[in-house]
Formats: sequence, structure tokens, C-alpha cells
Amino acid sequence: MSTIEQLHGVFARAFEIPVEAVNDELEYQAIAEWDSMSHLVLVEELESTYNIAIEMEDILEMGSVAKIKDILKKYGFEIN
Amino acid sequence: MELYDLIRKNEKLIFTDSGTGISKSIAEMHQSLEIENLRSVVFIYNDNQLPAIETLLNFYQSRYTIALLGMGLLEDFKENLEQKYTPYYIYDPTRTAIEGYSAVKASDTIILFKRNVNLIYPIHAKTKLLLSTSGTTGSPKFVRLSDANLVQNAKSIMEYMPIKTDDVVPLNVPINFVYGLSIFTTNCIKANKIVCTDKDAFQKEFWADFKKYGYSTLGGVPYFYEMLYSIGFFKKDHPSLRYLTHTGGMLNQKLIEAIAEFSEKFDKQFFAQYGQTEACGRMAYLPPKDLLRKGTSIGLPVKNGKFEIDNETDELIYIGPNVFGGYANIRADLQFFEQQEKLHTGDKARKDDEGYYYIVGRIKRIVKLFGVRLNLDETELLLKDALGGQTFICLGINDKHLAVMYTDQNLNKELILKVLKAKLNLHASSLKVIFIEDVPLTPNGKVNYPLLKESLEVSYA
Repeated sequence: MSTIEQLHGVFARAFEIPVEAVNDELEYQAIAEWDSMSHLVLVEELESTYNIAIEMEDILEMGSVAKIKDILKKYGFEIN
Repeated sequence: MELYDLIRKNEKLIFTDSGTGISKSIAEMHQSLEIENLRSVVFIYNDNQLPAIETLLNFYQSRYTIALLGMGLLEDFKENLEQKYTPYYIYDPTRTAIEGYSAVKASDTIILFKRNVNLIYPIHAKTKLLLSTSGTTGSPKFVRLSDANLVQNAKSIMEYMPIKTDDVVPLNVPINFVYGLSIFTTNCIKANKIVCTDKDAFQKEFWADFKKYGYSTLGGVPYFYEMLYSIGFFKKDHPSLRYLTHTGGMLNQKLIEAIAEFSEKFDKQFFAQYGQTEACGRMAYLPPKDLLRKGTSIGLPVKNGKFEIDNETDELIYIGPNVFGGYANIRADLQFFEQQEKLHTGDKARKDDEGYYYIVGRIKRIVKLFGVRLNLDETELLLKDALGGQTFICLGINDKHLAVMYTDQNLNKELILKVLKAKLNLHASSLKVIFIEDVPLTPNGKVNYPLLKESLEVSYA
């Protein structure tokens, strides 16, 4: 599995949407599935998948798929 | 309308829309909409934005009875409710057309739908506001509330809530929930600025607004406090903030400790509260000083209210001027308003030596997921209707999960999850869908819910 497939899988699980529906443009609160409840689930999924502890200030920055990729880079995960 | 008069008297009250930056004073919103002077029903689908608030205030001071509903309600649920109650006006900016209605311009900024054929039916003089008993199942069951109910509860809350005349208050709880409504009414009566917002605590804009406007208070259900905790809110001071309010169930020990430490260190007050739609808002609050000592208590009754505990069932019973005037299930029920003396809360409680009350269980068939009440019988019916008549048994597990049990092996678990998600917007992480072979029954042939509940709570503890 490529790193991008892995990441898209995380989103698909957290939001309960098909993996094909995940793309860079997805934004928090722009789709019904990405609400504050699933955001907490997403944080947990990311933390367990990458075995990281996401800093609190980063949680507020996680406003889109693209931004989350940037944040993962900070934690040492290059997604491409 | 006494509530409106109290709000109107607060002359410096201003409403600001965080999204557009537009502000309107209470005087500017007074009779700002062109509406026909009728005794009828209006449906307001609320999103806490300035136009919804302006519509609410206009209809409140008129002769109309208002049904306040969430804007996000599914469209077929909306249509079903509209057919049942035939409102004369509808405020719903999410729709461009409604059958049997014409769009009319009520002001430069607000469009209403007006019914083409006006049906006349009796509405009791006291029936002013209708709130849904469950926010999302689309049930036609409304709680009938009077202007006096709202005024009495606002006054009781203002006895303990430290609202100041220069406060800035965000509407971050939907006002179609009674808790959000009580934040709205009390602060409209006394505070200075109400910020209309649809941003939540996970959005940077919310915190930018927090700083920009200098929020004096925040409120939310336990889940909101989970969000605050996850972003480290309790680790630093927020100078404009003086107090926090809560309702919707007990906080866990981790949150109680974090909030107690935060309040102590930065001199903030935290008000845990207990309420129900049927009580038009709050019934009890825990004084901030008792948080660490009695964190799991709902506290003491609000002013002019009192509790009794039923000797046989342990059910908590509330008596006070804010108790509702009965339910409406159909339009004909609007002609009645039966002021109830006592409210049977459906919760089991105990009282300690110092007079503080604790909720120890629940008699009513509801679960609270993310602080929002979900009626279990309605959920069972909804699944039955959606999936073709099979039997479903719904139970709450510790207010964390909704357990859905089914007995038909041919049913697909994924499909059940899909229906729950589509109809009730429930996330799979809060659902347990379980196949059971036999339904345990009580001696008189009813589903043995207590037995099922016990085994579930053991399995998922």
C-alpha cells in the first residue's frame, strides 16, 4: 500500500465514506461526514495508524486533507 | 409577550453575525419583518445565524406560535411535519421552493415561505413555543411551552448565572435545543452582545472570534468539553472568559479535574446544570465551588423549583413554574395547554445529606449521544419502517453507545448502520449493531429491556 492509499484509508474509516471520495480538497465541516464528532475519531485514527501523538495546536490546523498531509510531514511522514 | 418585553428593555443589546460581520441592534430588529397579523403557526428552521434570530424575535412578539426546529433536519422529515401542522409561514433558507407555499420577501434580507391556503384551527392562548422532544428523529411530538414558562426559567437561571451587562456571548449551542434557548433568553435580557456563529471549537475561526469579540462565556454538552480538552483549552488563561456552563449529563473524572484546576488557577466559574425540554430549560445547577467535592451531582434545584423523589421508583420529580403544558402529537393538540404541576423526569435520583441531588439511572427510554437526547422507541420504529418491518430493539449503553439488536439473520449489518447514519446522522463509533437469536421477554410478554441492558452494560463496560 502506498503512503497516500494508507492516508486515504484513515479518512475513509474516520468519516465512513468510500476511499474514492477522499481527495486533497476535502475540508472540515464542508461535508456532512467531517464534523466535530468524526474529527475526534480522525485524530485517534491518525495517532494509532502513524503511532504519533498529535500536538494540540496541530488539531486546530487540521482543516483539510492537504493541511493534514503538511502536518504529517512535521511528524516525519512524507505522503505521496 | 413578557419575554420579548424583557429583551426589548435591554436597549444596548446587539447581535453580530460572525460570518458577515453585520450587526443589528434589538431596536433595528423590532418588527423588522413584514408578516401578516394572524394567530397561526410558524416553522423556523434554525441555524443560529442572524436572519434566523431576527425571524424568531419578530414572530415571538407577534401572535404566532413558533415551532423551533434544527435547519439540518432531513427534508422528508420536514415535509412530514409541515403536512401534519400546516404552518402558515416557514423560514428555511436551505430550500428554494415548498409545495403549497410561495416565497415572500419579509425584508431586504429575509425570505419566508407563506402558505397559499390559510387553514384556520384553534391554538391555545398560552401555547407560544413548540420544541421537539428529540432533535433528529423527525418525530411530530412537540413540547408545548408558554411565554410564562420561558420568563420564569430565565429569571431562575439569572439568580445564579453571573451574567453582566457588558458580556459578549457566542451562540455556539443551537437555540432549537432548550439549553441553547436558555443561554439565548437569559443573555438577551441582560448581556450586551450576542455573536451568531456556526463555527465550532475545532475551527480556527471560532478562536479568532473568541479573541476578536472577547467572549465572556462558553457553554456546551460534555462532548464540547471533550473538544476543549483535546485542544488544550484548559492549560492556559483566556482573559475575557469569566464562566463556563454545561448540561446534558455527567462529565468524566478526567474532565472534572481539568476544569476544576482551570477554574481554580485562572479564577473562572463552571456551572454544571440539569434540565429538560419539558422544564423549559434548567431544573438544577451545581454551584461552582462544589465541582471538585460533588462533581457527579446535578446540584440543587433552581430558584422557585423543588424536587421530590418517588418513594417506590426513585424517580426524580420536579415542581416549578417552568414545567410545560403537555405534548402535542397532532395539530389538534395545539388548542390545549395543560399546565402540569409536576414533571416526571424519567431519571432516577438520590439526595445526599447536604441536599444535593444525583442522577443514578433512567426510567425513560432514551439515550444521550453527544449530549443529544435520542428516543429509543422512535429509533426502533424508524428502523422498522426503513428496513421493511423487522423487529429492532434499541438500548442505550452508558450514554456512550446506541445498541441496536436485530433478530432476522438475513438483515445486513452494514445496511442498518447506513440507515442510522442517513436518518439520524449517527457515527458508527457510537453504534453497536448486534444480532440476537431470541428476544428475552418479561412474564407479561414485553421485551425485557432491563435484562438486555444489564448484559450489554457488562459486555461493553
